[in-house]
Amino acid sequence: MRLNICIGGRAGQGINLVSGIVSGILTKHGYYTFNYRDYPSIIRGGHNFNILSISDEKIESHESRIDGLVAMDDLTIEIHKRELKKSGFIIPSDKYVEFGINLNIALAGALMKILGINKLILDEEIKNSVRKNPEESLKAADFGFDSVEKKFTLPKLNNRLQILSGSDGVIQGAINSKLDVYIGYPMTPATPVLTGLASTQEKYGHLVFQPEGEIAVANMALAASFAGARTIIGTSSGGFDLMTEALSLQGQSEIPLVAYLAQRSGPATGLPTYTMQGDLDIALRAGHGEFPRIVIAPGTPVEAIEKTNEAFYLSEKFRVLSIILSDKHLAESEFSLTETPKKPLEVKITRPVPGEKILKATSYEHDEFGNSTESAELTTRNGLARLRKYSEIKKACEKFEMIKLHGNLKSKNLIVAWGSTAGAIKDAIKNLDVKFLQVIYIKPISDQIKSEIKKSNKVLLIEQNLTGQLGRLIREKTGISIKQKVLKFDGRPFTSDTLREQIKKEFKLK
Amino acid sequence: MTEVSKTEINKKLNTDYKITWCPGCPNFRILESAKVVLSNLMKQGYKQENFAMACGIGCHGKIFDYLNISGFYGLHGRTIPTAIGLKLGNPNLNVIAFAGDGDTYSEGVEHFVSAGKHNANVALFVHDNQSFSLTTGQPTPTSEKGFKNKIDYSGAKLTNPINPLMLALSSGITFIARANARDVQGTAKIMEAAIKHKGFAFVEIIQDCIVFNIPINNRDKDMYYLKKIPATKDETIKLMQEYDYNINDGKIALGIFWKEERLTLEDQFPQLQNMIKNKIIGWKNLKR
Repeated sequence: MRLNICIGGRAGQGINLVSGIVSGILTKHGYYTFNYRDYPSIIRGGHNFNILSISDEKIESHESRIDGLVAMDDLTIEIHKRELKKSGFIIPSDKYVEFGINLNIALAGALMKILGINKLILDEEIKNSVRKNPEESLKAADFGFDSVEKKFTLPKLNNRLQILSGSDGVIQGAINSKLDVYIGYPMTPATPVLTGLASTQEKYGHLVFQPEGEIAVANMALAASFAGARTIIGTSSGGFDLMTEALSLQGQSEIPLVAYLAQRSGPATGLPTYTMQGDLDIALRAGHGEFPRIVIAPGTPVEAIEKTNEAFYLSEKFRVLSIILSDKHLAESEFSLTETPKKPLEVKITRPVPGEKILKATSYEHDEFGNSTESAELTTRNGLARLRKYSEIKKACEKFEMIKLHGNLKSKNLIVAWGSTAGAIKDAIKNLDVKFLQVIYIKPISDQIKSEIKKSNKVLLIEQNLTGQLGRLIREKTGISIKQKVLKFDGRPFTSDTLREQIKKEFKLK
Repeated sequence: MTEVSKTEINKKLNTDYKITWCPGCPNFRILESAKVVLSNLMKQGYKQENFAMACGIGCHGKIFDYLNISGFYGLHGRTIPTAIGLKLGNPNLNVIAFAGDGDTYSEGVEHFVSAGKHNANVALFVHDNQSFSLTTGQPTPTSEKGFKNKIDYSGAKLTNPINPLMLALSSGITFIARANARDVQGTAKIMEAAIKHKGFAFVEIIQDCIVFNIPINNRDKDMYYLKKIPATKDETIKLMQEYDYNINDGKIALGIFWKEERLTLEDQFPQLQNMIKNKIIGWKNLKR
């Protein structure tokens, strides 16, 4: 059983509350949900929509064809009607306009009735999620509920689930690592981590600071880390560009730093609120000079929890830059959490810090005391030491899950992909003769990628970008060029039903 | 403060690093002033290992190698965020920042105008020689009108210098002072007041460049010390405007132009108070 409900309206009408109430109820009811949020860069007006996908088995994506349309305005019907299945239903807003700001609640009530959910459960959820005037909201919900007929029956299931976004995963991972300081400057889609960690400062005791820009963020963070704080910074594509010189400073000063990079659609301002995997190249190489770093791309919120912790651990252990590479689709989509994340590794600072003794950190080439040097001999020695770190880091990373294999593990048809596309791919290949290799550590990269490709007859690269950046990296590292590609670069994430057809076509599967 | 003569400089502050400033450069004097202040503060009970400096890139930045205290020799223009970062990592460090005029008023001006707003407890010393000298003579925002340089051979007729003191005042910086690099004791006295100020303290140090900007040199005859901190903002502004950083333009007042107390950045975070109160050496040593 799988249903996709599109909830649409103008920005500010509260569509997130509708999907929030409905997914909240369904989660408690034991159903898996996946909520995709599509919104333009507008505060009020325009057209926003969520696709809430519901299933009795695990899902991590939404589909292109919808079973129901909850329309807060006429434009929603106009835009999404063509995606509606023949048997699909529409809940238009006309009947409920009298409820004003509670229009969304009335529509949520109607949707719950259609899905066959008990009214008492609905009322309870509203009491829990609406703080201001819950009586008015309850009235609207009841009216909505009574205004339509039941269409589906969703019996209660025994799954114990919880809803989590990719941003929540990074937040949890940072808290599990006992972060001390988060420094960030607002930029979609990295902002939820900034605000999420800011709102939990009191509870956990960490510190969040928003300075005058990304350049200040990165330089400040290195100094805070040098002074002994477990430090993480966060930004999106353009903000990351601004941090570039400071990343190079990390390479010279060897001060531990974790950076969260949530990609959006570029170049430049691009599509500020849409997704893309266009920044793998800059994550791998941003910053002048040559120095080691770690780039990890989680594909799910649970992976975001675990990999953020690994990023902290590795960064402190090797005094390197660890980048957690996410994107708008992972950061802002809401998943059902099914697995329990692994027990976090302890991130212990053992290095001396200023205040304990006299210590110098520097952007110059330097001797072991931090004094500047222009010596050819020292420059060579320091370069070789940096080079050695690459292999030491790789050895340490091999203890972690650098890749994951999904689907039919015996299949000779191999998909290679990374990051937020993992969800749609996993859902698309259910019961197909396809194996999916999810690359999680992108730097260092696992040797298993080469052997898996060699074992396969057909290899398909799937990326959310124009040029296949992971494909290029694999060619650089293995000499293998993946010819078959499905690349999408319109800012919209893959939907699993459309992708399934594309995969079947590429592998010539029935 | 008690006067500390050169012979009383605490030897622990010296390094054996070879000094590469031009012979006769007033940076030697600024270094001496810094050592005088730190020696004096150490006499008053400040611990040497509790000092931390942030340095920018330029001639001034070389001070990093000549002063034996902790520090972060950061990027050009980023001295202020580096200094604030040190405070966020360990609010108990006594953070001093050495920066150049190019650093502070050109590349990193966004940090300078935000410094008053943040009001971190940091002392910033700007070595203002009104030119980019380590890059062999190009104009900075404080270069005087008519400055002949490698970019504008005719003299920079098009641009007027900015007045950093006025910029600091309008940015809400809570301690604003000006010093003369050639006067070691006078500069040291102002530096000490800046370090002891609770909040962001800015000291603009007028410094000759004896190689690339000769016309601005030897201005001592125009300089005079303020007898006290001006009582009103109007008076402060008037004094700041006496000199507009052009060559023959008014008297050059030295001393503290402005001082006010405002909550510091560190004081505004409840999560730092235990660390501050119990003198815990940064997050690393904080049990939480």
